[in-house]
Amino acid sequence: MTALFDDYDPGGPRFFDEVFGPTGEVRPHYRELVARLRSFTPQDLDRREVIRDRIFRSQGITFTVYGDASGPDSADEGVERTFPMDLLPRIIPVDEWATVEQGVAQRVTALNRFLDDLYVGEQAAVNDGVVPRWLLHTADGFRREAFGIPVPHAARCLVSGVDLVRDVDGTYRVLEDNLRNPSGISYVLENRAAMTRVLPVAFAQQRVRPVDHYGPSLLRALREVAPPAAGEHPTAVVLTPGQFNSAYFEHAFLARQMGIELVEGRDLVVDEHVVYMRTTRGLQRVDVIYRRIDDDFLDPVVFRPDSALGVPGLLSAARVGNVTIANAVGNGVADDKAVYAFVPDLIRYYLGEDPVLPNVDTYLLWEREQREAVLARLHELVVKPVAASGGYGMLIGPHASDQEIAIFRDRIEADPRGYIAQEVVSLSRHPTLVGEGFEGRHVDLRPFAIAGETVEVIPGGLTRVALRKGSLVVNSSQGGGSKDTWVLDGQPTGA
Amino acid sequence: MLARLAENLFWAGRYVERAEDATRMVDVTYHTLLESTSGEIEASWTQLLEVLHLRAAYGERPIEPVPVIEFLVLDRDNPNSIVTSILRARENARSVRELISSELWASINDLHLGLGARDLRQELAEQPYELFGMIRRACMGIYGVASETMPRDDAWRFMALGRVLERAEMTCRLIDVRHQQLEKLAGPTGRLPSGGERARGTDRADFHDWVAVLKSASAFEAYRRRYRASMDPADVVEFLLLEPDLPRSVVFCLSSAMHQLGVLSHGAPSRAARTLGRVTASLQYRDVGELFELGLHDFLEQVQHRVGEVAEAVADEFFRHHPGGSMQAVATT
Repeated sequence: MTALFDDYDPGGPRFFDEVFGPTGEVRPHYRELVARLRSFTPQDLDRREVIRDRIFRSQGITFTVYGDASGPDSADEGVERTFPMDLLPRIIPVDEWATVEQGVAQRVTALNRFLDDLYVGEQAAVNDGVVPRWLLHTADGFRREAFGIPVPHAARCLVSGVDLVRDVDGTYRVLEDNLRNPSGISYVLENRAAMTRVLPVAFAQQRVRPVDHYGPSLLRALREVAPPAAGEHPTAVVLTPGQFNSAYFEHAFLARQMGIELVEGRDLVVDEHVVYMRTTRGLQRVDVIYRRIDDDFLDPVVFRPDSALGVPGLLSAARVGNVTIANAVGNGVADDKAVYAFVPDLIRYYLGEDPVLPNVDTYLLWEREQREAVLARLHELVVKPVAASGGYGMLIGPHASDQEIAIFRDRIEADPRGYIAQEVVSLSRHPTLVGEGFEGRHVDLRPFAIAGETVEVIPGGLTRVALRKGSLVVNSSQGGGSKDTWVLDGQPTGA
Repeated sequence: MLARLAENLFWAGRYVERAEDATRMVDVTYHTLLESTSGEIEASWTQLLEVLHLRAAYGERPIEPVPVIEFLVLDRDNPNSIVTSILRARENARSVRELISSELWASINDLHLGLGARDLRQELAEQPYELFGMIRRACMGIYGVASETMPRDDAWRFMALGRVLERAEMTCRLIDVRHQQLEKLAGPTGRLPSGGERARGTDRADFHDWVAVLKSASAFEAYRRRYRASMDPADVVEFLLLEPDLPRSVVFCLSSAMHQLGVLSHGAPSRAARTLGRVTASLQYRDVGELFELGLHDFLEQVQHRVGEVAEAVADEFFRHHPGGSMQAVATT
């Protein structure tokens, strides 16, 4: 019998390890799980990996990676990959989760207030100087076409994914907000379903809070934001760009979970500012659209005229209040990485509360003093383009060459509004199965919040893990994996 | 059901049938020509291209077995080649994966992937029998899987409707492949000689051709049980066109389409149902001799044309709804 954790290096004090404390002791909420795993042989783990792989393949749980797209037919040639789930789950104890849940709900509530005030209100935060008007108007995700489009209960971010990391002392910090079309919830649900089959014994001794109410919760929120005129049984649909989109699996998954239609733009038609879907029995009115299409492709009348994915006239239907689009148009203004720096102030301004979850220390580069301080120590900082996501286009100073640093220096000087700089966060690490044993790998956490009349945070969320050694980038498109994420109900029995 | 998905199901059904029937026709032409003169060979392939409405698409290429077969089987630029039909069937099925059984998806996908893994050009050049048999069996397997795993809901009915309409057209074409011989049989007056004379007039080569036609419709054994040993071309036409109990006969397919359409539209009158009813009635209770007098080739063309009109009417009724169109908007549920 091999002791699977004997050679494990928790990496302290450079990193916070999720499982092992500073002196190498197992943290109380992991004791039960680690004790169970100690009796496992490498063969036991192998066998479970085989079961896991079979489950994921047969369910077709994949996302599509487009490599060398080389022609109009290449859409068919994208490679379908699974998003590998590590066998060892990540566990969050109940008190820690209470903080995360409260902090995420607080943040989403404030952002919804801010966005609603910006697009259909008096723009109080702007008028009172909390956040500069020019900054909002120069954000990539700002859409003046969204002015005057109402959303009941101000639930403009109906679904949000707030990316959290833990620094070296274990403090949860917000890395970024995803307020447009956050994806990944299907992995949360599928990981849990797979885990209960792969490691049922691990669940036996502890109460793990369930996540499978996500579909019903999402449907309830969608119905809550239906236009008042829709009546008691509003019709909601999921709008997808189609089967060649990398997240199509998730779109189909969510439609199935909610038992509603998965439509494409060509299935919908707007007549006299009313949206209908084309069914075999004629046109059926649609009241709420959970769209997984980016703003720019939503309505060719208003946005990109060459887009065949959207629905002509959709925005005007939303503007007169005949249909609700979720998430709302223009939310991208608030997840711009420079606007992100103002979110703690927006929380104080709109809610009169201190932020529960701090930001990562962020420098705004259009201010000369901050910019010069940043340029002097680029090799110690992380630089991100304000509008990018998916981990693309970043500079990680400590890992960068002199040449890369010089390139970013030029870019920042040419376009200081286009970038932010942040202190490097030494993301926490979690034991992860690599080969025959466990090694520490960096993780983050994306809890999902659903806002309707109230805000609900789904227990846990998506834990992404950087499978490459030392990598700080956990995005699925960059070779990341995931972990089932458990929020324990009540205190661990081993405490 | 979403109109787009219904249309995808309809076309998935059509394309699988199209691939299967084209395979049957290429197969029968290929194997009956093995012992023929070059003049006969050219005439037969030309005829096949014509009944498949592909003569113009084939262009100026030489009418020889290898290039014609490659064009009909594996040419991706030919929108009706067997490989293209299977690709289209898969694309349509892929977009309705939520509505069909996973076994059905797997069987269509397997056929597509299986063809991709073979050296089709070489097989066609050396020994296509195995390949044609594989495609036919796979297509029949797809229907078998569909039939055993799909509930009889609208999704099933749209797929079944597409299949039987396609088959009705293709069986017409299968008969039409031999229309020159048939017209020779009837002579300039169009009046058929008596059965005994016809049977005596069918020479040995023709006999084999008609066996091949029947076999390509999986109807040879059934024909023998019905008509015994006599091989009368008029009987073959009657059997493939008018026999109400033969699953590949045109009348059988049209009756089946009427049934599916009736359920889909809850028996409501529609242009699709009227058109389909008319073309079905034009065949039912018909005497084969009358068809020869009308001109069999023209009649077969007309049936195909009518079936095309039915498909158009089905599309108008179920797949293409526009605001202000004739369809009533259904109440929100």
